[in-house]
Amino acid sequence: MSERGAASVDTEGERRRGGRSPAISRRAALAGAAGLTMATSGCLSQFRSIVNRDDIDQLSLTITTLPADGDRESIRLAREIAAVLETAGVDTAIEMRSNEEFLRAILINHDFDIYVGQHPGGIDPDFLYESLHSLYADESGWQNPFGFTNLLVDDLLETQREADGEERRDAVETLLEALAVEQPFVPVCTPTEHRLVRADRFEGWADGHLATRGGYLGLEPLTEESSEQLRTVHMDARPSQNLNPLTAEYRDRGTITGLLYDSLATETVTADGDSSLEPWLAEDVEWVDESTLVVELQPDCTFHDGESLTASDVAFSYRFLADTALGGDSSPAPSPRFRGRVAAIDEVEASDEHTLEFAVDAGQAVGEQALTVPILPEHIWRDRADEASVRGVRVAQGTTEAVVTNNFPPVGSGPFQYADHTDREHVTFERFDDHFTLREDVDRPEPTVDELRVQIDPRSTSAIQLLEDDAADVTSSALETYVVDDIDVSEDVELVESPSWTFYHLGFNARKAPFSNPRFRQVVARLLDKAWLVEEVFDGHARPIATPVTEEWVPDGLEWDGEDPEMPFLGSNGDLDVEAARAAFEDAGFRYDSDGTLRVRH
Amino acid sequence: MLVQVLMQLAVVVTLMVIVSIGLFVGRYRLRETRTEWRGRIRAAAPITVVLAVVLLFNSVARQIVPDLSWMIGWNLTWAIYDIEGQFILWLQDQATPWLTAYFSFIYIYGYVFLLVFPVVAYFALSNTRPLRELLAAYTLNYTLGLVLYIFVIAYGPRNMMPELVEALLYDTYPQYQHLTRQVNRNTNVFPSLHTSLAATVTFLAYRTRDVYPKWNVVAILLGVSVAISTMYLGIHWAIDVVAGIVLAYVSVELAHLLVGRWSLSDWVDGRVPTIGGLRNRDP
Repeated sequence: MSERGAASVDTEGERRRGGRSPAISRRAALAGAAGLTMATSGCLSQFRSIVNRDDIDQLSLTITTLPADGDRESIRLAREIAAVLETAGVDTAIEMRSNEEFLRAILINHDFDIYVGQHPGGIDPDFLYESLHSLYADESGWQNPFGFTNLLVDDLLETQREADGEERRDAVETLLEALAVEQPFVPVCTPTEHRLVRADRFEGWADGHLATRGGYLGLEPLTEESSEQLRTVHMDARPSQNLNPLTAEYRDRGTITGLLYDSLATETVTADGDSSLEPWLAEDVEWVDESTLVVELQPDCTFHDGESLTASDVAFSYRFLADTALGGDSSPAPSPRFRGRVAAIDEVEASDEHTLEFAVDAGQAVGEQALTVPILPEHIWRDRADEASVRGVRVAQGTTEAVVTNNFPPVGSGPFQYADHTDREHVTFERFDDHFTLREDVDRPEPTVDELRVQIDPRSTSAIQLLEDDAADVTSSALETYVVDDIDVSEDVELVESPSWTFYHLGFNARKAPFSNPRFRQVVARLLDKAWLVEEVFDGHARPIATPVTEEWVPDGLEWDGEDPEMPFLGSNGDLDVEAARAAFEDAGFRYDSDGTLRVRH
Repeated sequence: MLVQVLMQLAVVVTLMVIVSIGLFVGRYRLRETRTEWRGRIRAAAPITVVLAVVLLFNSVARQIVPDLSWMIGWNLTWAIYDIEGQFILWLQDQATPWLTAYFSFIYIYGYVFLLVFPVVAYFALSNTRPLRELLAAYTLNYTLGLVLYIFVIAYGPRNMMPELVEALLYDTYPQYQHLTRQVNRNTNVFPSLHTSLAATVTFLAYRTRDVYPKWNVVAILLGVSVAISTMYLGIHWAIDVVAGIVLAYVSVELAHLLVGRWSLSDWVDGRVPTIGGLRNRDP
């Protein structure tokens, strides 16, 4: 009798619920059975109102980050952040992933709750367009990994893109103020980059920032021997595993691929951080009207394999970066890098072998930024438009050969060409003797050494030892901050200190609750004592920031003034004021349990 | 730099082995070895070949293990840290320059010596069974260890808590980075193969305590030191060390069961008549 009753109640429940998950239907069945006794007294509907409400649980999240071998500062930041979140009643775990696995999870698969890491940033604030525009929320790569969507911010991103001069400065200011409120990610600090160089082997280390191609060109060898080989120590093994300029998982700022692939213009940055955009592979760049850019190429350039580089290769490169499937797939498969820059170009037309006309869909400042993308040889990359395939495995849509190939040997037109590599040991390049910078009549920094050897050495301490033993000339990666104060500089070994445009940040996956809620993100931002973290984690070799752009673009209202002007820390000296943190979460509409855990619907 | 470190290692370990032969093996056994070495080599040859093949395979397989592991994706670091993070911190609190020097020496030189010397010592015995069991146990350690490495991704304490667990070895003696990097990937810390191989030697030394009583004592001291050094230097968690000891125990027991079960010479001898017998049975 009772069994039949339960079954009939359950069927009724099933019908009302439509197709809900089995867990709920089991619970509903139990509730139905228990409620049978009440049913006779006519209060089943009230019983259901009480029981069929999902309880909300403690917020439990995972911080994805890198291990100390990958980025010592990231794991330390992550642990400090985990500690304050725990204090605020959030159950927190940390997941460490190696360099490329970390980027794969964040950029390609969007498989994270929040993450802590270094953002490549940009000298021009337009990098924010690709980072945050909602149109890119579904793409893979550095384009909007946060899944952040806000129509007002979209508008501001577009406005700064179309403006120039003072007008653009104002537009950027408005945008940065909006972002400081929205906190799509929490910018923590900008590190100061330190590198060791051998001053007895080369001169001119201060002329070019060592994170750009200019840092390795135009160096003056001081001895016969040093003109034969420039020996760099790199603390990240990825360049010895992949040299594809389009692969997001294997590139940070693309310094090394920048030496292999030319771009039409290059950002010339001195070690002090002064920058200007200058023509590179382009001999001449001219705006013929407001939105048309005419580019004259350096004459008679060739790729490393001897094929000549023509305007059609350049036009192809822009088409290819916009859609690596070249129209062969049902929807475009844009490159996971350079997305925002290429999007500023509506159309590229080669008017003759050396001349191109760009139809620019942005202001002139942003339009010129688009000239910094790598120029690819059409005869090699056209075939890579095919979908990558692995027998027996379904490959994600838009995964073209181009974005996954390791690209050995890389064939570009840059000042250095590939010679040899061994996984996790080294990658070696030779001077490309036909490079245009080596011509008499071209006055641009040129490759001055026969060979450039990138030695892989994963730790700062052993990299420093290589420099001191005269087994290397420069640490091409920035040194970890904890070793900087202990470095003994001598006459022969110098420390180069330069500003960075990268920044450490905490990224939210706004596709998930509660990270989709700006009020939640604001409170999390206020749990971080950025100034304290800079001292504690970076030994002071960083600058706390409220906004993620280079110093010259920071509006007065977002200038760091001892604390975050927009999201001040809820506490002091690294100690979180627990009461204040709770009050802030409660004011933001969240609830605490009697045991002090934060309950959030997620 | 790597060549230099390797040379230094070879010289130091050779010296240690020569001294230990004098101390533990004795002239009498050496004299006997001079007359019997051919037979002993023949007896140990099959398992030596197996070990060599496994080591070769291991060095190739380790190139692809990280990729396989990330595809399987069992990342246990946080779970381990959650359970026992405090213990490593406590251990590191005991650090003194002398202890650091001692444990660094043990981690590199003591460990290699601990693995090499018993091969020599057991070779000096007329009974080849301990030697064969030792080599079989090494083989099993590497094989089972590799399987665990494929399934489990775990970073060691130095990667999780770089500021608290100073990477003592690599910061104090950066040159060793070049050596260990050839052998280990940073995601392969569960189980500790350093511990398991050291414990294997210790377990076998205990079994042969009647033959080599003094070596038994030294092996126990060294084995325990190696296990502690991996934690003291921030390379392994206590859980990795426990798993290493379990792996050692399993390997030693399995080696004991398996060694002598199949004899290559019997197999060859028995094979020929069998084939002949089959042929006779043909209609």
